[in-house]
Amino acid sequence: MDILQHLSAVLSLEVMWFIALGTLGGLVIGALPGLTATMGVALLIPLTFGMAPVAGLNMLIGIYIGGIYGGCISAILLRTPGTPSSAATVLDGYPLAQKGEAGKALGMATIASFVGGLFAAIVLATLAPQLASIALKFGAPEYFALALFGLTIIASLSGDLLKGAIAGLLGVLISTVGADPISGVSRYTFGLPGFAAGLSFTPALIGLFALSEVFVQLEKIVGDKIVTLKVSGRWPNRAEMRESVPALLRGSLIGTVIGIVPGVGSGTASWIAYNEARRASKTPEKFGTGHVPGVAATESANNAVCAAALIPLLALGIPGDVVTAVLMGGLMIQGLAPGPMLFESRPDIIVGIFGGTFLATVFMFIFGMLGIGLFSRILLIPKRLLTMSIVTFCFIGAFSINLNPVDLYTMVAFGVLGYVMQKFGFSQAALCIAMILGPMAEANLRRGLLQTRDNVLEFVSGPITITFLVLTVLSLLWPLLRDLKARRRMAEQPN
Amino acid sequence: MIGRRADVWLGLVLLAFCGVAGWWTLRIPSVGTGTAAGPSFVPWIMIAGIAILSVAMMLRALLHATPAAAEGQGATSRATLLRLGVFVVLLVAYAGLFLSVGYLTTTIVVFIAGMFVLGERNWLFLVVLPAVLTGAIYFVFTQFLGVWLP
Repeated sequence: MDILQHLSAVLSLEVMWFIALGTLGGLVIGALPGLTATMGVALLIPLTFGMAPVAGLNMLIGIYIGGIYGGCISAILLRTPGTPSSAATVLDGYPLAQKGEAGKALGMATIASFVGGLFAAIVLATLAPQLASIALKFGAPEYFALALFGLTIIASLSGDLLKGAIAGLLGVLISTVGADPISGVSRYTFGLPGFAAGLSFTPALIGLFALSEVFVQLEKIVGDKIVTLKVSGRWPNRAEMRESVPALLRGSLIGTVIGIVPGVGSGTASWIAYNEARRASKTPEKFGTGHVPGVAATESANNAVCAAALIPLLALGIPGDVVTAVLMGGLMIQGLAPGPMLFESRPDIIVGIFGGTFLATVFMFIFGMLGIGLFSRILLIPKRLLTMSIVTFCFIGAFSINLNPVDLYTMVAFGVLGYVMQKFGFSQAALCIAMILGPMAEANLRRGLLQTRDNVLEFVSGPITITFLVLTVLSLLWPLLRDLKARRRMAEQPN
Repeated sequence: MIGRRADVWLGLVLLAFCGVAGWWTLRIPSVGTGTAAGPSFVPWIMIAGIAILSVAMMLRALLHATPAAAEGQGATSRATLLRLGVFVVLLVAYAGLFLSVGYLTTTIVVFIAGMFVLGERNWLFLVVLPAVLTGAIYFVFTQFLGVWLP
């Protein structure tokens, strides 16, 4: 009965309007090369500050789902993925467009994103409550071990383990600015009242993911005109649909599983799904030449990640990928702490998010199918105008939360930091997620040590704690073993 | 990716940062919290970790030196660096004047200056559209979204 009541709140005209608006906005953001779903969510978090939590959070989820889907548009029409998660879609999407079948490629991408998103949304609604009920039994040591696992897996998956770990440690260090969670002592505040409660998280996010991208775009903007391919038709034929079904299902499953694992993300999911689809195909030679199942595999996988990445965020308080880490900022400005307690204290929010995820996926499908003919026009927005508009949005967003000009400096500083990190191969995602998980790890470590009177063995004696610590060690060793294996294979090859 | 030699310089910058952060950490007052892990416990672990990993990164760069040709890959040209520098100064000035001068004036000026730095010379895109867009954004945010702007 309660569930129906909570669901009816999502179906109100106001909430549905915001979900539709978010999904459409996300689609446009995702379609434009250089603008990512992460940037879209970071930029628009401040707007949700004054909204009802279910409306605001679902608008952000709409941006996320629309943004990941939108990435396929420029991947197919321009050979430039709008978001990193659509990089694999270029392989078959662009050749299809070159053959004059851009509409078919976009149609298949829309269907695949819908199927993948819906599949993962069902898994989210069924698995997250089960996981949360287990997590309710966690104490300080378990939470510390979980946060540590989240931190290491993100560092280890960020390409360069050393640089990922440095970014992670820096993120935790930055998160210690402000009052100490146990004693209340001020740390690194330099007597500035603006830092007493810690660095403002949302302006930092806007700087890290939106403003830094503006700096990156500054290097790329040239006077060239964008030439897109014509779009006609939208449905793959029956034979192509039948041929794509296994790739669709496999992609949805791969995306869902990868989405649940913290830190991996939709980019990896779509590459794995593409490789698996090619491996399992009877005609693998067709992949890369404009083969519809190739698009089905990548797009079902990357959109399945969206809903699946919400599972660890909602059930454990650990973001599944970088967009959900940013989404956590949206929950935080509503005064909500994601994690198992949210299922007990605010079931309306949880049910609202489940319902909103379904609705956003449906809106994405509708907008996708209706807008296929208009997609090529989105890509014609002048780059310089777009870049300066983003700068304006960054400033309004960072200022509007606390009406504090210090937040603007914080945003600019993090924008520069984000740009430098990108330039030198450090993971911004690791820094961001560490800034979120750092306080959780520190508070639970010190609380646990206080409870056990500094007895470390007692602190790590619980079975769940041990499991997470073992997983932590494995996640650190995995990239090292992988590199070693790759080097051995290289050495074994004759040339 | 920028060449490995940059990692040596980055490592040095990070070590210098660790030195400064260590100095700041010494100034955190130590208070009794009933455990050996006080307010500076986690910061010290992080600083030590960054320092150790920075040394490891430098050693890796020195031991696996890349050919000189690869060093310049992805490097930013001097003109782009200058443009980036001008842009950052512009944004810092924007942050400083946002509250005191007001959103409309500062945004129009920064928008036009930014478009100029980005290479726009068409007066329609350089002046008219920024003014219209700034006004439209102000109207939407203040009237529809209830955001207060100075």
